[in-house]
Amino acid sequence: MWQYIVKRLLLMIPTLIGAALVIFLLMNIIPGDVALLIIGGDQGGDINPRELAKLRTQLGLDRPLYEQFLTWLWSVVRLDFGKSLWTGAPILEEIMIRLPLTLEIAIFATIISTIIAIPLGTLAAVRQDTWVDYVVRVISIGGLAIPAFWTGILIILFLVIYFEWGPPLEYASIFQDPWENFKQLVWPIVTVGYRNAAVAARMTRSTVLETMREDYIRTAWAKGLQERVVVVKHALKNAFLPVITIIGTEIAFLIGGLVVTETVFTLNGLGRFMVDAIAHRDIPVVQTLVLFIAFSFVFVNLIVDLLYAWFDPRISYR
Amino acid sequence: MRGLKIGGLLLAIVMLVGLWGGAAALAEEKPRRGGMLRVAIAGDPPSLDMHQEQTFLVTIPFSTVYNTLVMFDPHGYPNIIGDLAKSWTVSDDKKTWTFTLHQGVTFHDGSDLTSADIKASWDKIITPPEGVVSPRKSLYQMVQSIEAPDPSTVVFRLHYASPSFLSMLAHPANFMYAKKYLDQDPNYYKQHAMGSGPFKLKEYVRGASIEMERNQKYWKQGLPYMDGIKYYIIKDDGARAKAIRADRADVEFRGFAPAEVEGITSQMGNKVTVAYPGQPAHWGIAFNVDKKPFDDERVRKAMSLALDRYDMAKTLAPLTSLDIPGGPIPPSAPWALSPEELQELPGFGKDHEANLKEAKRLLAEAGYANGFKTVLTNRSIKLPYIDMGVYLLSAWKKVGIEAEHRLEESATWSKSRASRDFELLLDPMGTSAVADPDELLVKYITGGSENWGRFSDPVVDKLFEQQKVELDEQKRIQLARDMQKEIMKKSWWLPVLWWSRAEVRSAKIRNYEPMPNHWMNRRLEDVWLAEK
Amino acid sequence: MAIATPRPYPVVVGHDSALYRIWVAIWKFVRTKPLGAAGAAIVIAMAFAAIFADFLAPYDAYELNQRLQFKAPTLTHWLGTDEFGRDVLTRLIYGARIALFIGLASSFIGATGGAILGVISAYLGGKTDLWLQRVMDILLAFPLLILALAIVTVLGRSLPNLILAIAIPVIPRTARIVRSSALSAKENVYVEAARAVGSTHIRVMFHHIVPNIMAPYLIVLTAQLGGAILTEASLSFLGLGTAEPTPSWGLMLSGGAPMYAEKAPWLAIFPGLVISLAVFGFNLFGDSLRDALDPKLRHRS
Repeated sequence: MWQYIVKRLLLMIPTLIGAALVIFLLMNIIPGDVALLIIGGDQGGDINPRELAKLRTQLGLDRPLYEQFLTWLWSVVRLDFGKSLWTGAPILEEIMIRLPLTLEIAIFATIISTIIAIPLGTLAAVRQDTWVDYVVRVISIGGLAIPAFWTGILIILFLVIYFEWGPPLEYASIFQDPWENFKQLVWPIVTVGYRNAAVAARMTRSTVLETMREDYIRTAWAKGLQERVVVVKHALKNAFLPVITIIGTEIAFLIGGLVVTETVFTLNGLGRFMVDAIAHRDIPVVQTLVLFIAFSFVFVNLIVDLLYAWFDPRISYR
Repeated sequence: MRGLKIGGLLLAIVMLVGLWGGAAALAEEKPRRGGMLRVAIAGDPPSLDMHQEQTFLVTIPFSTVYNTLVMFDPHGYPNIIGDLAKSWTVSDDKKTWTFTLHQGVTFHDGSDLTSADIKASWDKIITPPEGVVSPRKSLYQMVQSIEAPDPSTVVFRLHYASPSFLSMLAHPANFMYAKKYLDQDPNYYKQHAMGSGPFKLKEYVRGASIEMERNQKYWKQGLPYMDGIKYYIIKDDGARAKAIRADRADVEFRGFAPAEVEGITSQMGNKVTVAYPGQPAHWGIAFNVDKKPFDDERVRKAMSLALDRYDMAKTLAPLTSLDIPGGPIPPSAPWALSPEELQELPGFGKDHEANLKEAKRLLAEAGYANGFKTVLTNRSIKLPYIDMGVYLLSAWKKVGIEAEHRLEESATWSKSRASRDFELLLDPMGTSAVADPDELLVKYITGGSENWGRFSDPVVDKLFEQQKVELDEQKRIQLARDMQKEIMKKSWWLPVLWWSRAEVRSAKIRNYEPMPNHWMNRRLEDVWLAEK
Repeated sequence: MAIATPRPYPVVVGHDSALYRIWVAIWKFVRTKPLGAAGAAIVIAMAFAAIFADFLAPYDAYELNQRLQFKAPTLTHWLGTDEFGRDVLTRLIYGARIALFIGLASSFIGATGGAILGVISAYLGGKTDLWLQRVMDILLAFPLLILALAIVTVLGRSLPNLILAIAIPVIPRTARIVRSSALSAKENVYVEAARAVGSTHIRVMFHHIVPNIMAPYLIVLTAQLGGAILTEASLSFLGLGTAEPTPSWGLMLSGGAPMYAEKAPWLAIFPGLVISLAVFGFNLFGDSLRDALDPKLRHRS
């Protein structure tokens, strides 16, 4: 088992370096832009070419590309991501301010949506083709097709019109004021988690249905309540792994969902930070955030794979 | 007899009631000490040094931390009174201004404020050292030298007698800094806030809030009344409005869109006061006059004629508060063109059908009977930039001009603007003091730092030079108007609409009247908060 | 005397004509796979709106009208008007054109690019395959929206860039699937025979491998189409995609809609509804297409 873990971790490294390379190449296709952006700023005065050249040397922009990449990679390893072009503050600092919020939404959205989805999916399977089933299926299809930002807008519309809702001025940390925190974040969590819940519910429903198709299961089911409980437990055990894998694949959509949801609810999280950074052409921030996201994505998938391997002894360790 | 007695009784009653009411009213007017003012503001200041910045994001919070030499009377706009200056005299030739400073003024760090500090601050603004930017320095081109003969006297010597000099001095961006720190590092104030003002910077959490606390040792005795001010940084327009609605903030100092104002007043009723103090800013169109076809006056004129500014105002006002068509000087200022004069100029006539016909005729004459394609470079902010762009594109389409809407984010847009990388540019132009012709019209001269399209017209230049030194008010008004007419007749730059800003504040705030421009009257030294 | 039995219903077409057979096939499709049929119906409706927008739309999509600002849905304006007085229904119809154009262009470019890479990778094998695989894996480490956002940051905002930004994330997703099909096709004995006879690589690829990957290619293409439409809407919503005054659905939901939500809630409701319907339709259609084209890949849902 440990061999498997170590092997996967090692395999992760070239992927991460490759991702960093791709990001670096992507962001630095346009030469000189970073320096131009720093000097130009918002004043819009005449750009002094001497100052520009000096700044470029200072930033190391005149050195060969591979050298710049390695310098950047080395600083990344030391957690030095440079400074934001827009705010001038160290990027790591800016990230740490916003990370707790985004993390909280992501974690709660995933956990709560999975917890809700499994019983709903099971119920739909057990009561297949009844109105319960149809309701669950329609709602799940909604989760797949409805864009997260529209869900968010509709929720806000509803809250504003009927409850005179207003976005919070200051974010309440969950450790300091859990109730306030809940009130502030419940709707973004719902918005972000909707899709995950839909996918998990559908997956649960189909695996439970599959399990139920077995003859011996049907017999047990027919026997009565006691047996049914056992059957449901068995079905859930089967559904567990696929649902975990779902989380891995759904992370991509979760991240996308976070970006738009934070924008709609004007939350000061990493998703909105990225949108703002893009709007301001704050290349160092975008670079760092994309890297961060790629790393998280790879990391989460690793955890999912490991969980999968742990729980399913049939997996060979290659 | 009886009538007289009853009359006398009634009179006595009325007088008593009057006295009682008066006393009650007077009692109400007594300033209350204490309380925190909560302000909603749109973003972080790019740096803390107002001398080097051009955004209200610095002026609004940090005006509380500093004093200026002279200022606009917070209760008597547009009069100018002294702030750090106790009084001043002007020489007969009007070229020497001598200011006498108040005694006993101290900075927050305890040191005395003397004329040396004033001189050092002004030198930085007018002749900035290397590595320091001063975007407004051309406003002070009349200043020849500044002297500080003794600790309470500052003398300004001018190249020429300038009618605008005092107004320019009173510009709210001219914070007075301490020479001690400027000598150490001219960029010291970019990261530090240390002045002589009524409030001190307590804490600045980037992206979240800026908090000021009372300067207990403020040199104006008894002031300030408030304990402190907290500026909440809320980037989203809707969220800022909602902050006021939910009573989480007391005031927003720049302005709200009409939809927000409606929302706020419907919820808060008379707990808020809405004021429309004037027109601080203007949006118009700059042409890159070196790019065809904008080198042809007929084409530019046609593009102005194609815009029905009155319809535009009606359409955009409920969305953006851009509601008054006008020339380069705001409609309420004495140097502005009258509505009759405006209507003579291309694009401001009331007969839009005739204007359209004329526009098409001019285009055909210039060789563009079938119109042409071009690009409008615009800032990607909805209000009012994008909304105005949508209208412009639609209007020009009607005369066959297909403009592509190129939206750029602020930094890129500034760069395109500065490097003239545009064909058409939606150009914001404003005023941040009294609508002074020097400040506003300097944009249109050859080589003007904000003449983004880089047009050059010697007639316009001459008129500017003349009004700059014209001390007779009436003559100067005439010159200013002539200059505007010249610019607009030749359609060098198209003025379009003025913004009437709507300032919404809690009814708790007393002793405060908003000024036309949102940079002004932000010191808040004698503002107080009522109980409710 | 012969009694003529009246026919129960008028026969419009002959029993054996092609039209009749098509009709029967469609009817069967609708009855056996109602969801797929619904999806197909939505797709067709959208394509119809996109192609015939000029005839269908009651008004001009760009014309501002000061007197019609913020009008609620009425008989003259079925879905109301927006902040500029423009008819919402008209803009939604033209929006279908934009969504379909961008969606098709980007998924087509992405899927084709990915397919080409997948085939080359599978066919050439060895080092090329390994490296291409690694690159594809790395690209897959980025969520779709994030990669699109990063590309837009770098390239800037314009229509071709937008299409490219949405197309690029599709490439690795297609490449992977096509590669595995191509691999199995490669094993096919015909390929060896062809090579033995001396056919060039290109000829072999075209004649033998490509036909076998058409099915997965089409499946991925339709599967990605819904996603492409959603990505374009998201990018426009974030202010990084299409720009005003283009009538793009995502754009209609940003800016004006949240701000005027209380005054004009219809502005926030209808564009989102059509986006959801479109994505829903394409997903369903893609699902049934996959079921039809490749039962092996059937994914129980």
